[in-house]
Amino acid sequence: MNNNTKNNRNDGNKLLKFSKELLVSWVGVFIVLIIWQAVVSFRIVNPAVFPSPIQVVEAALYRISLPVLLGHISISLQRVVIGFLIGALLGIFIGITSGWYRLLAKIVWTPIDLLRPIPPLAWISLALIWFGLGESSKVFIIFIGAFFPIVTSTYKGMNNIDPDLLRVGQGMGIRGIKLLFKVAFPASLPDIATGIRVGWSLSFGSLVAAEILAAREGLGFLIMFAREVGEINLIVYGIFIIGLLNLLTDFLIRRYIIENQLKWHFGSQSNE
Amino acid sequence: MKLSSKRSSRFLGTRVLNVLIRLMTVIILLFFWEFSVRLGWISSFEFPPPSRLMETLIMLITDGFPRGITAWIHVLATVMRILQGYALATVMAIPMGILIGRSKILVRASNPVITFARSVATISLLPLAVAWFGVGEFARVLLITYGCFWIILTNTIDGVQQVDPDYHRAAQMMGTSPSQLFFRVILPASLPRIFSGMKVALGMAFLVIVAVEMIGTIQGLGALIQQSRTFFRSDIAMVGMLFMGIFGYFLSIVLDWLERILLPWSKGLEEVER
Repeated sequence: MNNNTKNNRNDGNKLLKFSKELLVSWVGVFIVLIIWQAVVSFRIVNPAVFPSPIQVVEAALYRISLPVLLGHISISLQRVVIGFLIGALLGIFIGITSGWYRLLAKIVWTPIDLLRPIPPLAWISLALIWFGLGESSKVFIIFIGAFFPIVTSTYKGMNNIDPDLLRVGQGMGIRGIKLLFKVAFPASLPDIATGIRVGWSLSFGSLVAAEILAAREGLGFLIMFAREVGEINLIVYGIFIIGLLNLLTDFLIRRYIIENQLKWHFGSQSNE
Repeated sequence: MKLSSKRSSRFLGTRVLNVLIRLMTVIILLFFWEFSVRLGWISSFEFPPPSRLMETLIMLITDGFPRGITAWIHVLATVMRILQGYALATVMAIPMGILIGRSKILVRASNPVITFARSVATISLLPLAVAWFGVGEFARVLLITYGCFWIILTNTIDGVQQVDPDYHRAAQMMGTSPSQLFFRVILPASLPRIFSGMKVALGMAFLVIVAVEMIGTIQGLGALIQQSRTFFRSDIAMVGMLFMGIFGYFLSIVLDWLERILLPWSKGLEEVER
């Protein structure tokens, strides 16, 4: 970020420099792909067990049709978005209320602290016993993945507010619930944003795990199914899709929600 | 944040009060849970009461589940897997990260590969690892290594890159040799960041271990939780989660303690990218 702001002045040079950087950054990818293809082409490993990039592209083209793949993607996305939204909303709500009302914090944070170290996937047995094999058990695991990091960083954000901000607000006659909404909540947004990114990647990981272990649709199921029928190139393709989806969604969250909405915060940071 | 000596006794008082409030909350919650089951408000099958969980805990420690595999065997299996995978990742990632971080071109060239490799959910590699290496210990340890490796690697690269250039200049002005520059300046200055990467990676190891133990083994806490699911024993699931939580909490305390002892100059980086 620092480099970008510094380079803003000379746009012509920037374009040239940018294209050079882009070239360098893709060299690594090409090297990896070439080594991978060479290892398979020279039969150092068995192509049936260790598919080459070309075989993976073949799997993408012929083995699975686009509508089927899109169906799996949309089911996975639905699950992760629902679970994440519930977790994020509840996490932000509890984080803010417990950060504002001190007595509530003492009560609410004891159970949260006790449950926080348990990894989301460890809830899978309880989720299945409580909710059965349907959608809600998977959504619950994703919810757990999103809730704990978001509630923790929201609460931390509420506690780390510069006291001067609150004093200035009070001095201007803003009190009570209005102070919470006008001063405290915006001041803790950067920490909430950190929590949202961590929470998203955890929910995404939990989604894949839940789908591998207990699902009949979705991307996790797709790669588990590919293993059962022994099509390793399909597994690799599925892993690529999952990785790309994770990368893309994280990028969207960072770019359009966090950086656009919190320009004021990050702007002031890079000036320092 | 600094406490004056006048306020420290009051501070101690509030700390004791806080612990008391926390303890009371737990006790009240447990009583409420126990009685709601006894009174039939919630089913003991879905929410086994604390008294039942105590019995299960004792059963797990003495008899074990499945019979003969006691809680200690489960914990030990999980600890060994995590330690192996974690150690392997650390040993590979730190030298590699230092190597990449020292060169701007390498940082740029490796960036897309590392970003993508990190985005690949480690657990999605489970089917592939099973297809390649079978359902054995090797596949399990390797997946933990994968999950930890990229986190430690990116934090090491960042740590090396973010060494204050003034340290560099000051050391060069005093005429340090390249090896001294590395061992006395760059390494110590980037260690706090590396360490916080290792802490995040440990959390990742915990995440992965549960998934990899759910397939093809009956030893380990993940396996215990998986068994509880097959037999619909919510009490065993809860005790398994309890072990997992205590174990995770304990390890994070040990790491914090190690950081304070080994890296007294580290100020504790709170916000580290995952």
